Amino acid sequence: MVEEAVKSADLVKTYRGKENVEALKGINISIKKGELFTLLGPNGAGKTTFLRIISTQLFPTSGRAHVLGYDVVTQPNEVRKRIAVVPQDVATYANFTPWEYSYYFTMLRGVSKPDAKTAAEGALKAVELWDLRDRTCATLSGGEKKRAIIAAALASNVDVFMLDEPTSGLDAVARRNVWAVLREMVEQGKTILLTTHIMEEAEMVSDRLAIVHKGNVVAEGTPEEIKRLAKDRFRVVIEGNLKSLGLSENNDNITKFGSKSIVYVKDENEAIELVGKSLKKGLKAETAPVTLEDVFVKLVGGEVD
Amino acid sequence: MNFKILRDILIITGLKSMPDLKRQPLMLLLVGLISSLPLFFIVVLGGNIGLGLIGAMVSATSFIGMSAPIQEIAFDRYVKIREMIVAMPVHPLSYAIGVALAPLILSVPSLVFFGALALYVGGLSITSVFPAIAAIIFCWASVSSIGFLISTYLQKASPYTLNSMSNILGILLGFIPPVYYAEEVLGSFSWIAMIFPTSNATSLIRVYSGTLSLPFEIVAIRWTILVATMIASAIITASKARWREP
Repeated sequence: MVEEAVKSADLVKTYRGKENVEALKGINISIKKGELFTLLGPNGAGKTTFLRIISTQLFPTSGRAHVLGYDVVTQPNEVRKRIAVVPQDVATYANFTPWEYSYYFTMLRGVSKPDAKTAAEGALKAVELWDLRDRTCATLSGGEKKRAIIAAALASNVDVFMLDEPTSGLDAVARRNVWAVLREMVEQGKTILLTTHIMEEAEMVSDRLAIVHKGNVVAEGTPEEIKRLAKDRFRVVIEGNLKSLGLSENNDNITKFGSKSIVYVKDENEAIELVGKSLKKGLKAETAPVTLEDVFVKLVGGEVD
Repeated sequence: MNFKILRDILIITGLKSMPDLKRQPLMLLLVGLISSLPLFFIVVLGGNIGLGLIGAMVSATSFIGMSAPIQEIAFDRYVKIREMIVAMPVHPLSYAIGVALAPLILSVPSLVFFGALALYVGGLSITSVFPAIAAIIFCWASVSSIGFLISTYLQKASPYTLNSMSNILGILLGFIPPVYYAEEVLGSFSWIAMIFPTSNATSLIRVYSGTLSLPFEIVAIRWTILVATMIASAIITASKARWREP
């Protein structure tokens, strides 16, 4: 029995043109059934290319990829029966209603009319759009439109969902609504492959994640495991002049933003000591464990050993 | 063609037409108005209204046939519906035919209206109704295939460019060749009517209505050209169009 929902081996994608672009440089990823796996990376890292290959929209240049044991190149129809995709920057037909999206897209999966109606109703209730089901997308907010598309995918009741930056452009409240929907899907045993460049999103919703940078996976694990990759485990945010603390702003462990600086230190004791020292000098200071964003910035900048 | 492909054609046709029909019923009027515009001049200038009505029927179909695949596919790419459907168990043929059929529904009321009027004024005879329907269907299929062919070769063009292009081509095919006027006007160049699916269909309808006399062999050749245009465009499109990107 296949344990992985998605598995790629040495997946390479080169876009041919005047200048060849190596979008993926041998990606090896394994996503277990029933987990929410996030591809986290800056724009142009290769996240969408990976998702489009896995979802049978794009051929790889070399390497292999399987979804639930089916080869995405040689068995695309088997893969397509088992996946649903929400593309990046997806827009909506102004004249469509959320109901029409969910109903018609479910029908296209070979489902009977009554079953499609039941599935569409369930999906729209899950994303809290049931009351707005008959309003045209032209009259919905950005978050509601996104949820309408997610509902269309959700209604398919497939095993693997692939969502390419589903919360980009949404406000905080709408984003959290989408997160709740995604986690609910995972609770129901679905596998989700999510791409995002929003650190908080990756940290909050992922069971595991991979940081992708320039077509390579530079780190993979749970959010906590990724954060442990940093040699400096705590951050101290200090407002004011660091010179009074005897710290040089050119230090690799210090990032400065105007009057505020983030100083990265090895452990909690060192952090508390620095906060105390800062307060004595009349500076504002607070400490916290490093965030995923801290680690991400260091990883893509090549500063983690 | 299996049942799933046929069912998906109907679903995509419904998906691409019903929401617009429900919420933009004026589109029906627009298609009719565009096609009937030359009739105004034909009536004012004392031309053959029967011929004009046949032209309006052919034009209503061809205009929508040309613009449908180009506009729809360009727009589907823009709103990413195409991406979602590619990643679904849907055959490319279902998508292509569904996309082409959907706007045809918009032109059906105009076709029925112009057809009834043509029967009334004598442009169409009862016996020519079925050949006329066949010619219009082949014309629609040929023009749609040409539209698909164009959209296949212009995958990188913006939806706006494709939109303008489809409208221009629709107008050119509907109004420049002898669609609203008799091919006899072209004299020794009347063979030009055979080249364009629109004028070819018009002339064939006229043959069966008894307003154009052509030898049997020429009629056979014209049917062959009409069908061949459709098949050739469809084959080139099928060989060049890529459901999954390389």
